[in-house]
Amino acid sequence: MTNYSAFTVQGMHCSNCARTVEKSIGEVDGVKRVTVNASTAQASVEWDHSRASLQEIFDAVRRSGFTPVQLAEEAADAERLARRSALKRIGVAGLGMMQTMMFVYALYAGGAHGIDASIEQYLRLTGMLFATPVLFYSGAPFFAGALRDIRRRAVGMDVPVAGALALAYTVSVFNTLRGRGQIYYDSVTMFVFFLSAGRYVEMIVRQRSLNATEALSHSLPATAAVMRDDGSIERVPLALVKGGDRLSIAKGAVIPVDGSLLSESALVDESLITGESTPLTKGRSAALLGGAINLGHPIELVTSAAAADSTLAGIVGLLQKAQAERPSMARTADRAASIFSLITLVLATAVAISWGLVDPSKALPATLAVLVITCPCALSLATPATVAAATTRLSRSGVLILRPDALERLARVDTVVLDKTGTLTRGLPTASIRYLAPGSSGEQALAIAAALERSSEHPLASAFAPYALTAVTANETREYAGRGVQGIVAGRTWRLGQREFVAELCPKDADARIGGLVLGSDSGVLATFHTQDTLSEGAGAAVQELRNLGLGLVIASGDTEEAVCEVARALGVHAWSGRVSPNGKLALVKELQGKGHRVLMIGDGVNDGPVLAGAYVSCAIAQGSAIAQAGADLLLVQTSLSPVSVAVRTARSALRTMRQNLLWALVYNISAIPLAALGWVAPWVAAIGMSMSSLIVVANAARLAGPDNRNTRRTREGVGAGLPDVHQEPAR
Amino acid sequence: MSIVFLLIPLGIVLMAASVVALFWAVDSGQYDGELEQEGRRILDGESDEDVTTRWSPRPPT
Repeated sequence: MTNYSAFTVQGMHCSNCARTVEKSIGEVDGVKRVTVNASTAQASVEWDHSRASLQEIFDAVRRSGFTPVQLAEEAADAERLARRSALKRIGVAGLGMMQTMMFVYALYAGGAHGIDASIEQYLRLTGMLFATPVLFYSGAPFFAGALRDIRRRAVGMDVPVAGALALAYTVSVFNTLRGRGQIYYDSVTMFVFFLSAGRYVEMIVRQRSLNATEALSHSLPATAAVMRDDGSIERVPLALVKGGDRLSIAKGAVIPVDGSLLSESALVDESLITGESTPLTKGRSAALLGGAINLGHPIELVTSAAAADSTLAGIVGLLQKAQAERPSMARTADRAASIFSLITLVLATAVAISWGLVDPSKALPATLAVLVITCPCALSLATPATVAAATTRLSRSGVLILRPDALERLARVDTVVLDKTGTLTRGLPTASIRYLAPGSSGEQALAIAAALERSSEHPLASAFAPYALTAVTANETREYAGRGVQGIVAGRTWRLGQREFVAELCPKDADARIGGLVLGSDSGVLATFHTQDTLSEGAGAAVQELRNLGLGLVIASGDTEEAVCEVARALGVHAWSGRVSPNGKLALVKELQGKGHRVLMIGDGVNDGPVLAGAYVSCAIAQGSAIAQAGADLLLVQTSLSPVSVAVRTARSALRTMRQNLLWALVYNISAIPLAALGWVAPWVAAIGMSMSSLIVVANAARLAGPDNRNTRRTREGVGAGLPDVHQEPAR
Repeated sequence: MSIVFLLIPLGIVLMAASVVALFWAVDSGQYDGELEQEGRRILDGESDEDVTTRWSPRPPT
């Protein structure tokens, strides 16, 4: 009767939002339990199947002002179940371990002070009673892993673990049943407990980093507004959008799927996919690209393909691929662990034989100690734990790792080459007057332009918005796509836009100042405006931070030298070059790398494809799915540059941590083996030593993920927030 | 010393009870979310009527 469902709630920013959603879901009849987690944006609901439906719950979320998104449910479910069963195993192992230790300690004490034989046997049997469920329930994953390894004819670290457990347990049971000899129930339970605890921590770190990445890929539009035949609009998950569906796209929203336009006209920014920075006007039944932003009024379209085939699906696919690949360092460590496990087995056999010849009573404890203490768990945990923690940290600050080795290379970077447009500048234009007809007021001219542009959806229109005056209004404004606007202000017809367009109205001023937007009426040109893109917010601080990290900075842009120089000067960057073609950028990067520099290239991922692929390590700004082909190593989810310095810093400390971990694991294993082989280490001490070495490695790595989650919220804003790049004055 | 013949079985019963309690707690989802969240809930300062979270009395099927 009870159903369980977990889904993501988009748009939540704080625990208050979470409470609102919780309350709203809680009011649905039949809901038994609901928890909404603000930091992971996850809601989990248990409800009575017969009294409520998931649809009602989703409606409740929408009523509270948020958007529910169904996750891949099986994945979330599997994750939850894995966590639950791991917790139970640890719990059983912990409880069993404490009990077993108590009885075994009583036996030790009894051995020293004298103990009644019947009591001694009783304690042994009790120890067996507690150790048995620990081994067969909590220790089951190790045996399963060892079996898997053996079937593949490979030696993983589960093989010596399972071997040690089986050996210790079998000998103990044998000794228990015959009523004399050493028992190792305490070692068995401790080993199982600490090892399970270590693996649990590792699993949590890994799942968390996966979730963080997933949350980011969800900042792409996860749902689409599908119009039903009866005219109603339903938000459905993107994955369920089929070819032929009618979608409604709000102003400013990302068009989620490729399709053709049903509305009269549309203004779209396709710079995300095609790199075309000028917003395009599309007529009825024109093709619209998934990933484009609808800049104009709300539109309708009919999809031409399913969402899975949309270009926008590229990013998500890219992320999944990146997660499936494993860093080369981790692969090396895995191989090393495998070899190490083999050595352990050989060594343990050698120790058993040698002690068998010298002192058979010590053969078993020494062999067990060697098997346990040399478990290469720390070695194989060292890299994955570090990478997982660093990935978590990075995705929290809005940087996704697309190539497995990007982290390592990012740490070694010494020079940063920056693209200008879309990277340093934000695509929000400002207007200034270049030419003003004699005797007229600049304020008046700007106000007229603002009035004409008020109803325009063109991105450049926003440049004039600050200059609007309430006294100046325009009537009958008309937009001429790609040319300009026309309207009547104070009884006179005005035009604002391209020179030729305005010249049609006032031919006598045909060759007024060149460049910029021209404002004129039938009595002549009043003014021309220079529209300029401003530095993106935080660009100055971000550049300064990169400089503080000791990185050399170079700006390379296809824009005019004048524009590039202006930006470079504002940022205090001395090395810059303008009018560089994409191939020119590649040549520049190659030249720098030829001189021995390790270059981090930051670009928009569309025009900069070749240079991103050619740089030592590259970072694309998430401006659509074309980045799937751009060959970037890292992806900036926001249009802000500030996460780059965080990324470099994190990568550097990750590399340091990785080295510390590997060194520690090696030193520990190598120094512990002789001690164990000489029989100086009791098996239970070995169990603690082995587990502690793994926990130290995981804890050291976890420092990277850190408590720093200042940026958690910003990462949810997403790709759709990317503004069109309109530095080069678009044709009007 | 014969008291241990009574106390140890008692301990075993207690152990079994703790394991059952643990399994119930895990299965009812108490450890699924972030553990800090439930603590924070108290500090959010709402009266009892507002608390919408209800623990189901038995493990979910």
